[in-house]
Amino acid sequence: MEPKFNIDRPKISDEEIKKHQNFEQLVKQFKQQSLNKAKHDKSWWKSKKVRYSAVIAGITVICTISYLALFKNETKQNTTHETVITQNNNNQNIPTKKSFINEPSQNLKVNYTSYKINNAKGGELKHPSSSKIKVPVNTFVDKNGKDVIGDVTIEYREFHDAADIIASGIPMNYDSAGTKYNLESAGMFDIKGTQNGEPVFIKKDKKVEIELASANSENKFNQYYLDTVTKNWQYIKKDHANSISGNNHETNDFDNNDKDNSDNYIKRSTKLQLIKDQIEVVIPKKIDSVKTVYTKKIDAIPKVKEPTKINKPTPGRPTFYLEGSYNEFPELAAFNNVIFEVGPENKNYRPDMHEITWSDVKVSEGPVKGKNYLLTLTYRKQVEKLIVYPTLSGADLEKAEKKYQQKYKDYESLVEKKQAEETRLMAEMEAKQKTYLAEIKSKQEEFDKQRAKFITEFKQKEQSQLASNFNAMSAQTKATRLFTISSFGVYNSDCPHAEPTGKTISPMFVSGEKGNAINPDILYMVNHNTKMVYNIAFKDGFKITYEPSNNYSLCVFRNNKLFICNKDQFKATANKDSNKFTITELPDNADNLVDFKKALEI
Amino acid sequence: MAINPHFHHTNEQINEELIIIEAAKQNPERFGPLYNKYYKQIFNYLYQRMEDKDTAFDLTGQVFLKALTNLPNYQFKGVPFASWLYRIAHNEMMQMFRVQKDRRSVNADIGDLKYICEEHDEPFFEEYIPAIKKLLLELDEEDMQMVEFRFFEKRPFKEIAEILDITEVNAKVRMYRIIEKLKKSMSKLKL
Repeated sequence: MEPKFNIDRPKISDEEIKKHQNFEQLVKQFKQQSLNKAKHDKSWWKSKKVRYSAVIAGITVICTISYLALFKNETKQNTTHETVITQNNNNQNIPTKKSFINEPSQNLKVNYTSYKINNAKGGELKHPSSSKIKVPVNTFVDKNGKDVIGDVTIEYREFHDAADIIASGIPMNYDSAGTKYNLESAGMFDIKGTQNGEPVFIKKDKKVEIELASANSENKFNQYYLDTVTKNWQYIKKDHANSISGNNHETNDFDNNDKDNSDNYIKRSTKLQLIKDQIEVVIPKKIDSVKTVYTKKIDAIPKVKEPTKINKPTPGRPTFYLEGSYNEFPELAAFNNVIFEVGPENKNYRPDMHEITWSDVKVSEGPVKGKNYLLTLTYRKQVEKLIVYPTLSGADLEKAEKKYQQKYKDYESLVEKKQAEETRLMAEMEAKQKTYLAEIKSKQEEFDKQRAKFITEFKQKEQSQLASNFNAMSAQTKATRLFTISSFGVYNSDCPHAEPTGKTISPMFVSGEKGNAINPDILYMVNHNTKMVYNIAFKDGFKITYEPSNNYSLCVFRNNKLFICNKDQFKATANKDSNKFTITELPDNADNLVDFKKALEI
Repeated sequence: MAINPHFHHTNEQINEELIIIEAAKQNPERFGPLYNKYYKQIFNYLYQRMEDKDTAFDLTGQVFLKALTNLPNYQFKGVPFASWLYRIAHNEMMQMFRVQKDRRSVNADIGDLKYICEEHDEPFFEEYIPAIKKLLLELDEEDMQMVEFRFFEKRPFKEIAEILDITEVNAKVRMYRIIEKLKKSMSKLKL
């Protein structure tokens, strides 16, 4: 079968790879495999030695147990305790320890809305849900306690329903003096402040007021602060709902930080991303590629060598004329009739060098190739080296001059050709690059237009989504709840409820046409009557307790996939007195909080 | 081509690995450092050659389980432990393709194809992609593997040789032949 060829398939992130990296699991598998192998391999039992040893060991164990049972009650207690520990250690299905706030999925996110506020001026921020954040002047200090100068970024988000709560991963159980409760929320928010990425803090004597819009106008709620150190909710005070009439939504100062968020918008649009890739990656790569290829082509044009001109000797300069039999010095035959002029750079030249009859003469390449030569003169142990320039005189010079003229003509025409070829290639390269640059320009214009359009549409959609979500909660029972906070964090208007009562079962989950079994990593139960969310803890398996007269949904997270058992599916199973729940997988797209709410019928 | 520090080791690093291996032969729980060191490499190797992410994760787990099971038989041959893991990964993957009649996949970036073109002194344009794909798909499994190692994963010849258990010279010769083959085909296609 021919392989499938993918181009630019998205890479798997390091985080995702890390998530699957589980050495403990590997060791467990390995041990299990070894155990299975040992179980099937019974050859060891055939050995008489092993059989006798086993019998002796058995008798020893029985004797020891009887002795301990009769005389050592304390030891017995300890032994029981150890057994419990061993059981826990052997439990293969205990999920790994998770952090306190544990977002169940990367795709489900309640996004922060970002605001800018000048610390010296303070002010009031209006959130799309109609909540208000009131900041007095000079409220924020940095980590050294100094007043922050300039703008502070406030990031704020609210959680109003079961879907928001589940997506946030914020635990909704509350431990009050050892008694466990579940919290029913009338609205929760998370607020934080930064300047240039560094956290800022609320000054000791200052308070920030949050007028939280709430869908519940009952007065049974308390205010709590989520203490991430003690990992528990801290009671602040009794909450009071201020009822408001009519729809009080105002247009907000939503996101004054367009530039910072621009990248986030781009990430949300495949079309924008594609254009951006074209501008930043694909087309520049083409330009680079063209440059590489044409540079290679230009370099490949053969270099033209300029011919060397031979001059007549300079009057007054010493010269050497090599006389003698060229049979004796065949390598000098090429220098027939050449007069070597001693260059002025030779400081070792002496006129008496002409008086010596040299026994050996060598001419080799000089320091400037093609221009000068190295003349090595040897007599016994005396060796002299001179840089010399070849010259000619008389008829030889005329002949050489003619030859040089011809060669130079050829050289000029070759240079001309080379330059023309280079110019042609450069022009071709520039033309190709220009086309790509024009393409970049037009893509950039298209990108700017598309981005402006997308941001406008996205903002409108997001605002109307936020507003409609809020309205959908309960149009008649809107209220505001006033929080006065002295530190950033998560705050909640809650009413604690005792642990649920009713029928307790160990649920099983099946999905798809084939009814494949799904083992949850995380399990949530939503009670639609009380609007409460239960994060079901894993303890010897998952167990849920429900009141048959109420309406419930179940949310199952498995391998970053989200499955829902909606109200009807839950009811159907409960009515059959079964524990097998049919669950449906939610599409795995980036913004599925809205789909999640729809699936939960919120 | 840059050296892959995760693959290439100094003698000291190789010795450290050997100590861990010997300890893990006695107690599998000592295998952790090698598992953590090579998990990502092996996953990426497998995922580059198959379609489904989950299958790649499953197979990566299988590779390490197999490595741990066969660790007592592991013999040091002077090359990093990774080459042994790669060979297990390759065998497991081919076995899976055979048994499940699954389709192998080849994954490349546009930059990789550009690199191939430039190796052949040809400019690269996106319009060439279908033709290059066609050429590469005509290669047999062994040659494809070399192309993946060299052009898509940018591995140096030393590393390729160690993974394939051949000499570095042999790896270079094989690659040279493949390049020649591709050159011929490219000229036929008149890229």
